[in-house]
Amino acid sequence: MISTVSKYVRRSPYQALSAALIMGLTFFAITVFSILTILSIRFISYFETRPQLTVFFKDSATREEIRDLEKNLSDTGKTSSIKYVSKEEALAIYREQNKSDPILLDLVTADILPASIEVQATQAEFLAGLAGVVRGSPLVEEVIFQKDIVDTLISWTNAARRLGIAIIAILVTVSVLVIITIIGIKITVRREEIETMRLLGATNWFIRAPFLLEGAFYGLLGSLAGGGLVIGLFYYFSPSFESFLRGVAIFPISPLMMLELLAIEVIVACLLGVFASYLAVLRYLK
Amino acid sequence: MIEFKDVTKKYADDPVLDKVSFLIDKGSFVYLVGPTGSGKTTVFRLIIRDIMPTEGAITLGDWDLLSLPRSRVPHLRRRVGVVFQDLRLLIDRTVAENVMLPLEFSGMSEQEAREKAETVLSEVGLEGKFDKFPLQLSGGERQRVAIARALVFEPEIILADEPTGNLDLETSFQILDLLQTINKKGTTVFMATHNNKLISEATRVIILESGKIIEDKKPGKKSEKKRNFQDEDKLEDREDKTKETGEKIKLETLAKK
Repeated sequence: MISTVSKYVRRSPYQALSAALIMGLTFFAITVFSILTILSIRFISYFETRPQLTVFFKDSATREEIRDLEKNLSDTGKTSSIKYVSKEEALAIYREQNKSDPILLDLVTADILPASIEVQATQAEFLAGLAGVVRGSPLVEEVIFQKDIVDTLISWTNAARRLGIAIIAILVTVSVLVIITIIGIKITVRREEIETMRLLGATNWFIRAPFLLEGAFYGLLGSLAGGGLVIGLFYYFSPSFESFLRGVAIFPISPLMMLELLAIEVIVACLLGVFASYLAVLRYLK
Repeated sequence: MIEFKDVTKKYADDPVLDKVSFLIDKGSFVYLVGPTGSGKTTVFRLIIRDIMPTEGAITLGDWDLLSLPRSRVPHLRRRVGVVFQDLRLLIDRTVAENVMLPLEFSGMSEQEAREKAETVLSEVGLEGKFDKFPLQLSGGERQRVAIARALVFEPEIILADEPTGNLDLETSFQILDLLQTINKKGTTVFMATHNNKLISEATRVIILESGKIIEDKKPGKKSEKKRNFQDEDKLEDREDKTKETGEKIKLETLAKK
């Protein structure tokens, strides 16, 4: 059976190449969007685990005044935790985040970094009220509302995901149509041979199986090429992404996870190839 | 072995076979004779259930071919070895691969199938030609390949549709000898031909004309309607060509006018 499939592929190499290329393109796009989805989930969950409200204080604010403000916030009963970050602690965090860049370390001292408090609310809807409490204070320099960032990120990633799904749906449809056409041409070209096999006692399964396996082969080749290429490029450019997103802990992505992604893609691609071939077989081999 | 009971086959109300009945015994050698278009190939196509009759009943051994489920048709075709009129050899496969083809359907290993194919090819006199392609062989050798392919499953019956159709008389007799040898080993042979020169009086002959059996001559008896349909076909061809030429001349004359 395998030798029959390899013979079918070798007999029309350009058709085989077209089928594998379109499958490769489809799974290139699927892998890109899968990796983007993984990264966006990590990105969002990173922000979701950050303090939901960060209040930066003016340099003039004393620790006692800040404590009073912390008490005001606690007294609302809407906070689950409040953490004070002094100028020195902010410098330590900054140093940790930029330890690989000595120039940045030299430029920054504790004096230019503001003290802050990180506030977690018991419920998301309390955040606006808590922000209102601190915004009016003369001690406060800036209030960063984490929920806004997360919401914006979610809406961006959702839009990107919808676009990705649309592109993938188009590519999957094109791949299926290309495979149906190629397998259909092959069946038409081999019609006489198929008829002879049938008259000699071949079962439907014996005649159909090589065409189904051929579809699976195109899926296998396409997914390994498309998926493998994206994963390779991702790991090659990972250090650059990591440096660009400094401070946002979404890296590293485990190679095992990538292997799992590739394995799933190979299975899906083979099934897609078999499905497209089956449609061609139903259409042309009655 | 094979029984046709009042079998009629129509294509768009046009009967190709009309109430055909016969019984072929196991181990016999039977000729099916008739001019081109008399329905010989239709009889064979009905036996392998390539087509279904419009009316009547066909049985092969204890199998009723009309009620045979579709899933059993491949099994039926393995019980019957067919030498097709146009041979149906796959030109991109070697002689051995062509003969191995039916064995592949049964799930036999490639090694085993090759050994078996080579044995059968040797039996039909094709030693040393295993790796040739059909187009590298003579007409008679190709016929032998087709016969070997029909034999490889050790079928109960061989249907040979004009196996000597395009061969010279000497080669035709060689093929006939081969089929008779196969028959002597116990395989039933049902052979269609329109060449009366090949038919011996010691065999049974069913004569078909316009879809009807006009004579079923038993072995040893003389045929009352013995005609050489091959010569008749040639005569028909010649008449057709003369008609065509006449029409052409007429048209040319009209065009000139």
